[in-house]
Amino acid sequence: MFGTVNNYLSGVLRAAEDYDGDNLATFLSLRDVHVQNHNLYIAQPEKLVERMLKPPLDEVVGAHLKVLYYLAQEPPNYMDAYNQQAASCSAVVKLLQQLKDENWCLPLMYRVCLDLRYLAQACEKHCRGFTPGHILEKAADCMMACFRVCAADGRASEEETKRLGMMNLVNQLFKVYFRINKLHLCKPLIRAIDNCAFKESFPLPEQITYKYFVGRRAMFDSNYRMAVEDLSYAFTHCPDRFTSNKRLILIYLVPVKMLLGYLPRKSLLERYDLLLFHDLALALKAGNVNKFDEIVHEQELVLIRSGIYLLVEKLKFIVYRNLFKKVFAIRQTHQLDMSDFLSALQFVGVTDVSMDETHCIIANLIYDGKIKGYISHAHNKLVVSKQNPFPPLIST
Amino acid sequence: MANPRHVRGSCESFCPDAEAKMRIKEKLLNYFEYKDGQKHVPGILVKEFTRSAADAKVPKAKDMRTERCLMKTVEYLLKDILMDERKPYHLAYDFIFDRLRMVRREIVIQQFNARQTIRLLEPMIMFLAYSRYRLCTEPIEKFDPKICNQHLQECLNMVLSCYNELDDAVQKDQPTIRDAERRCFIESLYQIFNLGTPEALVRGLTLPAQVRKDEIFKLAFSICMNYHQGNLYRVIKGLPQLPHILCAVAAAKLQTIRRRILEIFTHAYNNKQLTVPAAYLLRLTLVEPQELFGLCRHYNIALTPDRQALHFIKTDFKSDAETIKAQREPFVEQKLSRIYLPEVLLLRKLWL
Repeated sequence: MFGTVNNYLSGVLRAAEDYDGDNLATFLSLRDVHVQNHNLYIAQPEKLVERMLKPPLDEVVGAHLKVLYYLAQEPPNYMDAYNQQAASCSAVVKLLQQLKDENWCLPLMYRVCLDLRYLAQACEKHCRGFTPGHILEKAADCMMACFRVCAADGRASEEETKRLGMMNLVNQLFKVYFRINKLHLCKPLIRAIDNCAFKESFPLPEQITYKYFVGRRAMFDSNYRMAVEDLSYAFTHCPDRFTSNKRLILIYLVPVKMLLGYLPRKSLLERYDLLLFHDLALALKAGNVNKFDEIVHEQELVLIRSGIYLLVEKLKFIVYRNLFKKVFAIRQTHQLDMSDFLSALQFVGVTDVSMDETHCIIANLIYDGKIKGYISHAHNKLVVSKQNPFPPLIST
Repeated sequence: MANPRHVRGSCESFCPDAEAKMRIKEKLLNYFEYKDGQKHVPGILVKEFTRSAADAKVPKAKDMRTERCLMKTVEYLLKDILMDERKPYHLAYDFIFDRLRMVRREIVIQQFNARQTIRLLEPMIMFLAYSRYRLCTEPIEKFDPKICNQHLQECLNMVLSCYNELDDAVQKDQPTIRDAERRCFIESLYQIFNLGTPEALVRGLTLPAQVRKDEIFKLAFSICMNYHQGNLYRVIKGLPQLPHILCAVAAAKLQTIRRRILEIFTHAYNNKQLTVPAAYLLRLTLVEPQELFGLCRHYNIALTPDRQALHFIKTDFKSDAETIKAQREPFVEQKLSRIYLPEVLLLRKLWL
């Protein structure tokens, strides 16, 4: 716990002289034990710090001590703490620029940016007087400044380049952009990572987080195949002991896969406490439109909060497809009466449906390639193809 | 309350004296600013839009209007000028558009609070939404729908963030029933204007319960959700049930929806021998018979000689044809003919 400020500062100095990025990061972390040391709560630490440390490290540390000071107030002054953390972050940018062909201080940058995000979140939660998301957006700007320095470090060798820090920052920025619902800002970041020559050499945990966010973004763009690919990567590589992370990935992976025609195993859903999807899958499989709507309605809040409500609503036409496939299985003929489909819809509890709408639903399914055939309006019949009238969803 | 750090307007006339003097002297008056019937006699002037520029001085209090005066300006523009029929509507639109834009700028300069901003912006949104419909068939020299859309979206975003601010306020003073009603109407307008976009849908899902329970909002939102799911049948059935201005906003999307329905049908009813009765399509596309024939010609769908039925052939559909421009729709015209526009645009009376 360092005791006096001078002890703390010489600790920082030693870490910096040893190029020990991890230790330095701990000294500047808001989650480390030193934050409980009352001797470090100083409103104007500049003089003290300048005596021990060289610029711009003195700025980083000075701002950090001020953050501690503001957070120690009763109630904590999150707004000023945030502003000081932002100052600390800009000082880190200067430090990064100064250290050419060296990347040992990347852990420090990660830590300062992470705490910046936490503080921005705290401001959003506790403070008033700005539009929601504004502080987080400003925090993202600070991180972008770090990102630019890292991305521009193209001359250093592969071991020493600060470009290795890109993915960590990108993931942090993703977290902000998803929170403030500005997904379009993710695009240039993804491009930067894609163009990176050594994108495979980023640490695995970072790659998992990255794929998780990229997958979710693909999902919002209705690019479901890409989404499945990225989310599956994240799910299979995420170690089993991180159950809650795996659960988070599944929340998106399961419905996207359902859209492509894969139903989840019950045991898997059980293990991750996601049986809601099991009920949905059953209704989907049975073509039970009403049951499906009921579950969606009951679980509305959960689905909205997890951000998959719109995706789940898209499954509706697959429910129709499965219902109509059953009509075909019962009738065993290639010329199906449209009134049979109408009866089927009414049978599963869609009471407000008309013949016109039945036509439109089937027309849509044909257009999407989910049914192969054509409708004869004059005979009020659906004529389906002799081969594979309901092709597997994965192929459509 | 108002933030004291910013300039507060003190001008109580639509146009500050300095500007009025200058524009009268330089003969820079708009047609609508001359006294009726007299060529060179100035009538009522309204402060013109100017950009903020580096060389412009910080505006003085007497050059800016008070909140009350801004409200009066909006009322004057949306009543007296809007109903002025001496000139074609697009000219009145240009005038009102410019003058409202200045009102919007003053809101920003004077940093009005959420409640004040909402009161001034809501009528602007209604005006832009209405004009977008009314002028949709004008040639580009007379009316630019893109700019109109862009301003409408900006105003909407601004007003929505004000609603959010009031929702999040620590001490909530309950909105009046009228305020709540206006908000529901504007939220519905936002939904229909951004039909089926994920951003709008996400917003719709997370709105406070009192908005989500509103009948008009529920209808508007269900239309958007059906659009998202691809159930165009329900979209088409829902649209005509919307009230006047919302119907007008929806009309801008109709040609896209019609095109999509026809394209889907060319696949679904694809057969050389079979035909589909025109009556069925009239029901599903909300068009008059003459117009349906026009649509068929445009997208290359064959008609039977008696024009009672259509031949749908998948490969014939002209998928590279441009979507037909939005137009005035009879069912919307009918709704609009039954209202007194200023009352609706100023959100004084939203229902019949």
